[in-house]
Amino acid sequence: MKKVLVIDDEGIVRTSCERTLAQEGYGVELAASGREGIELLENESFGVVLLDLKMPDMDGMEVLQKIKDMWPDTKVIMISGYSTVDTAVQALRLGAYNFIEKPFTPDTLIAAVREVLGNSENGPQ
Amino acid sequence: MKNIFRHPDKSVAAKLIIAIGLLMVFLSFIFWYAILAKQEKDVMSIAIRYGGSFVNFTKDSIRLSMLDFRRDETQRTLETLSTPEGVRKVRIFNHEGKIIFTSEKIPEQFVDKNSVSCRGCHADPGKSSAVLQAPQKWSVYKDERGFRTLHVVDEILNEPACSTAACHFHSPDQKVLGFVDAQLSLAFLDEATLRQKLALTAYVVIFVLAVSLFLILIIYKIVSKPVSGLVYGMEKVASGDFNYSVPIKSDDEMGVLARTFNSMLNDMKIARAEREKWTQTLEDEIAKKTEEIQKTHASLVQTEKLASLGRMAAGVAHEINNPLTGVVTFAYLLKKRFPPDSSEAQDLNIIIEQAERCSKIIKNLLTFARATPSEKGKVNINDILNRTIFMVRNQVKFHHIKFDIHLENYPFTIIGDPSQFQQIFLNMFINSADAMNKRGKITVATRKIAENGKPYVELEFTDEGCGIREEDLPKLFEPFFTTKPAGKGTGLGLSVSHGIVKHLGGYIAVKSTVGKGTSFFVRLPLMEEVK
Repeated sequence: MKKVLVIDDEGIVRTSCERTLAQEGYGVELAASGREGIELLENESFGVVLLDLKMPDMDGMEVLQKIKDMWPDTKVIMISGYSTVDTAVQALRLGAYNFIEKPFTPDTLIAAVREVLGNSENGPQ
Repeated sequence: MKNIFRHPDKSVAAKLIIAIGLLMVFLSFIFWYAILAKQEKDVMSIAIRYGGSFVNFTKDSIRLSMLDFRRDETQRTLETLSTPEGVRKVRIFNHEGKIIFTSEKIPEQFVDKNSVSCRGCHADPGKSSAVLQAPQKWSVYKDERGFRTLHVVDEILNEPACSTAACHFHSPDQKVLGFVDAQLSLAFLDEATLRQKLALTAYVVIFVLAVSLFLILIIYKIVSKPVSGLVYGMEKVASGDFNYSVPIKSDDEMGVLARTFNSMLNDMKIARAEREKWTQTLEDEIAKKTEEIQKTHASLVQTEKLASLGRMAAGVAHEINNPLTGVVTFAYLLKKRFPPDSSEAQDLNIIIEQAERCSKIIKNLLTFARATPSEKGKVNINDILNRTIFMVRNQVKFHHIKFDIHLENYPFTIIGDPSQFQQIFLNMFINSADAMNKRGKITVATRKIAENGKPYVELEFTDEGCGIREEDLPKLFEPFFTTKPAGKGTGLGLSVSHGIVKHLGGYIAVKSTVGKGTSFFVRLPLMEEVK
């Protein structure tokens, strides 16, 4: 079972994702920036990357492009605050698998991850 | 009538009367003068004729006594002839002017050389027989009483009986033997003429006065009165009384004038009423428009206020979504620790709902803030529609909604901002989803139509939702009008869409049946193809 990588500069979003997904039995790694996320990806293979669109040092779109270039099998779900529909469509065009809007409910998040990875082997805890 | 005499320079009738009156006086004077002159001439010619006859009669009466040289008899005959009234004197004189016989009581020696007695033939009586002129046998002079006297002269011609008479007084070579002159008074003729002159003058004056009076009356009746009636009417109308009408008393031009004036007045009355009506309508219209403008202005001000609020909110909205994610997530996690029916779980549900409501409010504010135009370019409507559908399909809100898509295979090209079109389409989909309670079918179609000979694209968005009430239809595009529950809608979606479509020269049509569904038709003019 592949793990989920959450890349978001906001601590509360990272924690929310971690707690929600961990409860569903998924393995979760966290990164506070795009650079940090790519470092983690280089060491380990992830099934899904939850990627924030708007981050200070490296933009989500940039990170997406890099992931798609280097690990084309890794599915990326964009997390956007209310950004333009255009940006979301652009992200989908660039190869993002899906996108969810902030603020999202745990159900939305779980549904989106499950769509890629299927039910976790461990099941909900 | 008073006006005619008080202000003759201001009255047509007075001018007419004065003109005709002067003409009449002038003509009457000529007539009077001509009659008198003619009469004088006739009377004089009769007097001269009778004067001539009297002299001839005198000559005949004294002929025999002269031939027989009976001087006493001749003298007596002359005295007899001068007895009737009016015969002043009868005289016989020779070439030298020496009076031979006279009827005068105190005889004169010679005739007056300056009188017609000599001057009748001689231009210069000093040169006796020289310079004869055509004989003038009469003249008139005034006597000491001022009456006229007719002085008639005639020559006594030589004849055989004279030269052959026993006395042999005259030689046969002599042509004219002497002259008879008579002076006849015209006093009673003058008196009669004077009386006649006075009578005629009186007649003419009476005639002129009578005709003038008659004229004044007629002019007053047919000119002055109707004209002053008209003037009175016009003054009334000028002072604003349109209900007055001039009485029509005749069929002549004055009557026609009055009738025309009345009908003109009537037309004016109607036109005035019409004008007043229009003025009133116009005023009402202006008041209505002013109110509308004020309303629009107020709503514009409010829109602008909200837009700047939205722009301000946009800055912090992104940041607020992050903590909201935390709130929602941890409320969920906490909820799972309690049985679903517990009061704790219920309370946590309220926290989740309210947090979601916060996010929705922020989203709407951002939508509105983004309504400002950005970059324009050539846009393919079908492409944007496909992209928008692709995007919304992945949203939780549309998970249970089926899309029925019929896009006509045609390059619908419009110059515009793609994000604005996306906003319109997204708004249509969100409204449909809300109307159907997130369950049902949305039909999306594009087709090419022609309107006023120009190519248009028609986009159809049909849902199976609750429909729109008829009374809400006119308010659909008003800003801040919404039928969604409080806090769910801002009432700006369709208003903003309408503004964008209108700006592009298009319009939005709506067809709706309550309980069955609603169809929105967005019609946009296509870019003219360059051939």
